[in-house]
Amino acid sequence: MNSLFKHLPLVFRHEWRLLLADRSLWLTLGILCAVLAYGLFNGITATEARTTTQVRLQIQEADAAVRNVDLLRRIFEDKANPEPFANPANPANVGSGLAARYAMMPALPLAPLALGQSDMLPDHYKISYRNKTSFLYDGEIENPWNLMSGRLDAVFVVIYLLPLLIIALSYNVLSVEREQGMMKLVLSNPITLSTLLAGKLLARALPLLAGAALLPIVALLLFFPPARQVDALPQMMGWIALVLAYGLFWFALAAFVNALRTSSANNALLLISAWVVLTLIAPVIVNLAVSTANPAPSRVELATQTRLVTIAGLNRYNELLSTDYRYTTNLETLRPKDGKLDIPERLRAFYLMDRDVDAEISSLLDRFDIQVASQQALVDRFGFVSPAIVAFEGITGLSGNGSRRFQHFKEQIDTFHENWRGYFQPKVLGGQAMTESDYADIPRFVWQEESARQRWTDLAKRLFQLLLLAAILSVLAIVFLRRYRVV
Amino acid sequence: MIGLIARRELLEFIRDRRLFWAGGIILLLLAIALLVGWQQQRTLNAERAAAQQLDYDDWVSQAERHPHDAAHQGMHVFKPEAPLAVVDPGITPYVGSTQWLQAHRQADLKFVPAQDATGLQRFGNLSVAWVLQVLGPLLVIVLGFNAFAAEREQGTLRQLMSIGVTPQRLLLGKALALSVALALLLVPAAVVIAFVSLSGLEAGLQYDTLMRLLVLFAGYAIYLSIFIFLTLAVSGRTSTSRIALMALMAVWITGVILAPRAISDLADRWYPTPSRVEFNNSMDQELSKTYADAWQASFGVSTRWGADLPLNRWGEALQVDDQAGYLVADRHFAELWGAFDKQRQLQEWSGLVFPVLALRSFSMGIAGSDFSAHRDFSLAAEQQRRLMQDLISHDLIHHADVLDHQHFTYKADSTLWKQIPPFDYRLPTMEAVLPANIRSLGILSLALLVSFVLALASVPRRA
Amino acid sequence: MLETHDLCVEYDGAVALQSLNIRVDPGEIYCLLGANGAGKTTLINAFLGFVEPATGSVHVNGLDVSRYPLESKQGAAYIPEQVMLYSVLSGIENLDYFAALATGRRLPKARLMALLVQAGLSEEAASRRISTYSKGMRQKVGIAIALAKGAKALLLDEPTSGLDPSAANEFSLLLRQAASRGVAILTTTHDLFHAKQTGTRIGIMRKGHLLVEFDSVAVSHEELEAAYLEHMRVMQ
Repeated sequence: MNSLFKHLPLVFRHEWRLLLADRSLWLTLGILCAVLAYGLFNGITATEARTTTQVRLQIQEADAAVRNVDLLRRIFEDKANPEPFANPANPANVGSGLAARYAMMPALPLAPLALGQSDMLPDHYKISYRNKTSFLYDGEIENPWNLMSGRLDAVFVVIYLLPLLIIALSYNVLSVEREQGMMKLVLSNPITLSTLLAGKLLARALPLLAGAALLPIVALLLFFPPARQVDALPQMMGWIALVLAYGLFWFALAAFVNALRTSSANNALLLISAWVVLTLIAPVIVNLAVSTANPAPSRVELATQTRLVTIAGLNRYNELLSTDYRYTTNLETLRPKDGKLDIPERLRAFYLMDRDVDAEISSLLDRFDIQVASQQALVDRFGFVSPAIVAFEGITGLSGNGSRRFQHFKEQIDTFHENWRGYFQPKVLGGQAMTESDYADIPRFVWQEESARQRWTDLAKRLFQLLLLAAILSVLAIVFLRRYRVV
Repeated sequence: MIGLIARRELLEFIRDRRLFWAGGIILLLLAIALLVGWQQQRTLNAERAAAQQLDYDDWVSQAERHPHDAAHQGMHVFKPEAPLAVVDPGITPYVGSTQWLQAHRQADLKFVPAQDATGLQRFGNLSVAWVLQVLGPLLVIVLGFNAFAAEREQGTLRQLMSIGVTPQRLLLGKALALSVALALLLVPAAVVIAFVSLSGLEAGLQYDTLMRLLVLFAGYAIYLSIFIFLTLAVSGRTSTSRIALMALMAVWITGVILAPRAISDLADRWYPTPSRVEFNNSMDQELSKTYADAWQASFGVSTRWGADLPLNRWGEALQVDDQAGYLVADRHFAELWGAFDKQRQLQEWSGLVFPVLALRSFSMGIAGSDFSAHRDFSLAAEQQRRLMQDLISHDLIHHADVLDHQHFTYKADSTLWKQIPPFDYRLPTMEAVLPANIRSLGILSLALLVSFVLALASVPRRA
Repeated sequence: MLETHDLCVEYDGAVALQSLNIRVDPGEIYCLLGANGAGKTTLINAFLGFVEPATGSVHVNGLDVSRYPLESKQGAAYIPEQVMLYSVLSGIENLDYFAALATGRRLPKARLMALLVQAGLSEEAASRRISTYSKGMRQKVGIAIALAKGAKALLLDEPTSGLDPSAANEFSLLLRQAASRGVAILTTTHDLFHAKQTGTRIGIMRKGHLLVEFDSVAVSHEELEAAYLEHMRVMQ
């Protein structure tokens, strides 16, 4: 112990000198920072684009509200003629799209660090009482090639590149001393091999991990204003902790491989194989296993069911559908009278059909959500086979762009969609005209953040998994170091 | 002489078991990828074909109803997966597979498989193409990183040079050894892949698929050859095998892991695509103007579907509306897809430096799982929708209501439904897709030439 | 003081040292002669704790090496045959590190420079990178490291091989100075002449056995040579 405290700083300082002298540290740090900067730039611009879209939609929504109320007022004052399919007095028009109301999921302060599923799943839906399949699948426009490649964001740099740089700097810390003949001279002094190795790795870990963990935080604070809030602090701490734990795992692995006492070339080969297996192959295999164990229900079946229910609806409401629009012969039917409005039978039929479709396919739609949730549960349970998965899931979770938060958003959409329909149903079926005060009462989507407890227990679990793996490797390294033959 | 060098080298691969382990893992992954891909595709295509048939049966046998409401029921079309999507699924997981052909508006295909998956999907999709594109070069590197460096370290290089082996022959010998080693692994794999992907196909498709496979294999052969020469070049220039390995790893990671993402982001910035809101807004704006003009021109009225136009002219109105809209939608989609195509071109040209990008484009293109294939299907689906719309409008005009206010009481029957043919989508043939993929093949060949020259220039001339 | 009691060491299954009893007292310079593979280096490794005794024990300054690995190293300095140093650092920077490892604290720069000069290196050379050093210069840094440690025992593995005669002479002088300060010195060598000239006692080893010991003052050069050749021949 005494040797550890006395010698660790000495080794640390010496290693710094060496790393600075042969420029390898600068090179590695340079690469890390450059790629990280590019990743952060991508993350921040992508997140800002999303936010801009949301702001634009909010403006559109507000504009539409003003326009609708204004037009309604003028219709009441007889200053304007209502249009048949864009009549602000007609709840069927308003509820099926004229209100132009959006439900949005806001970006979290750490969103630029991991874009996650944000290019894949919508962060806003235009809500109407039309059936869910009509709006649930309108994703953002992205070149599918880019979706396939994935984004170069900060989490990518941390998950893939950081371990490689760790490997490049530490694959031969002990072997090179043995191969070049310094080791005997070093160890003729009262220092243990584990202290030596710890000092060497610490000297590399400090700049590398500090850079990987802190540069993104600094960049966020400087260039991403939403990150400058007190609430973001614990999330930033979470990011730092995850990056450190993930880095620690790779350093522990490097320590273990160095303790095996093989040649430098062999060490490099071993560590790179580990990297290929853990970050490239394992996630792909786990993904395959998860989707094979819990395959998505058939979308074809969903399409078929939707069609069958629609046909049933067409037959059921045939009577209503066959009724002609009255406004073409009597314009007055477009105007509200004593709070009542003549809702065309066809529009009522469409309302009922959409309602029926939702009712009939809701269990099928639920199965998709359940399936994604159970896939996610499998990933959570077996992700530990690859620390890359654990760290990725953890960081994406913190960034608010993980599958789970999108799932959480969709659940809220379900409820909100119900409320929306509940609000319009009596009006559409009862032929009540929209009034100005009704507009103020139209359900408004209020985003409910995921439970904080869930988020923090997730984080704690993942940190624990990473640290446990690192600890196991460190213990193994110490065991092998005990048996390490200097000569 | 070249054969002798190659034989000695091969013996080494086999003796030190590198070929066995590295190759074994690759073969195992290939086998899993192929098996899973094949199994999934078989069920998927069977399901889609059955659903497609069922859909049409339901269409034809639907009750008598107003044609516009029939269009409400619409038809579903399901995208069949190209046979070679088993080998390279390409963008398949990231595009929709189903389109509901309904009245009024062109839409994107729905149901993107990746939306039904967890975030892990983004690490990559295990497929034959993924294994060959990402891990193939790594296999080459593991086999060849010490080709020259080790000989230099052991001093055998000096010996070889002293007995008069020319550097060119040495290079070719080593390249041959690497190629044979890869061939030993991959040719049997290719045979299995061919056998699996051809099985169960109808005869016409079988020939086309076989041709595609041969071209595809040629592309991968070029790709791996690029890495053979690149590996030999680096090995020839570095003093120790340790440095050779590190340098090659850097090349591999940059070229195969980093570049695809970096270039994607770059392409997206260079040829930006609109957001969904922008796209919809701009199309909506143009559509409403176009519609208004068309209505004005055809009927002399300013509001669509207003009271000024009697119901008995709604069939006509539908036709005018649709025809005006088609052009606008076509232009907007062509612009968007044009941007995608420009991005693809940028990716392909980047293939000169990062061959994987050119290969990706080529492989998807030939396998029929690229965006052109998706676009081809989307267009065919939209064509079918327009056919349905046009026939319905035509029928409405023909049966225009004489009473002037009984538009929706009209009911068409199965004679109309039958006029709309079943959606019969044929995958484009090899001849049709080949021209679009010549560029990426050319770029790959160019990259091969460059790497060969690099290797020649890097062969050690002195020990 | 360096001593072993009935030391047996096995190395890769083969016996490297057999029932070896050796003792080097403070002020003594003990020269070990023997062919390659005789076990000389293994003995030094045993004193440094790099190999474990199969039976018997190794003591440095009275401390059992197996039981007190770190403490015993505190009391022994080691100079290998090839002093390999960090080539991107200068001589003084290397000394800085090793001296700090040896003593557990960093020495002031002036002190480091003085040690290097004492070991025979010029100030100008001390600030240059090791990659520009000759073997002899690196050896001198090795001596400076040993001096910095100020240990009561010194272990040297073929210290003069590859040095030119004058450098070897300087080196012998340094050893004798150290011995006169009461340091116990164990050095291995091939060089009979050097052994006779520098050592106070001389031992000849073969196949892990210590065969004979001579008092270097008492033995004549011819006697020593005859004995050495005799044992070499038996080996063949």
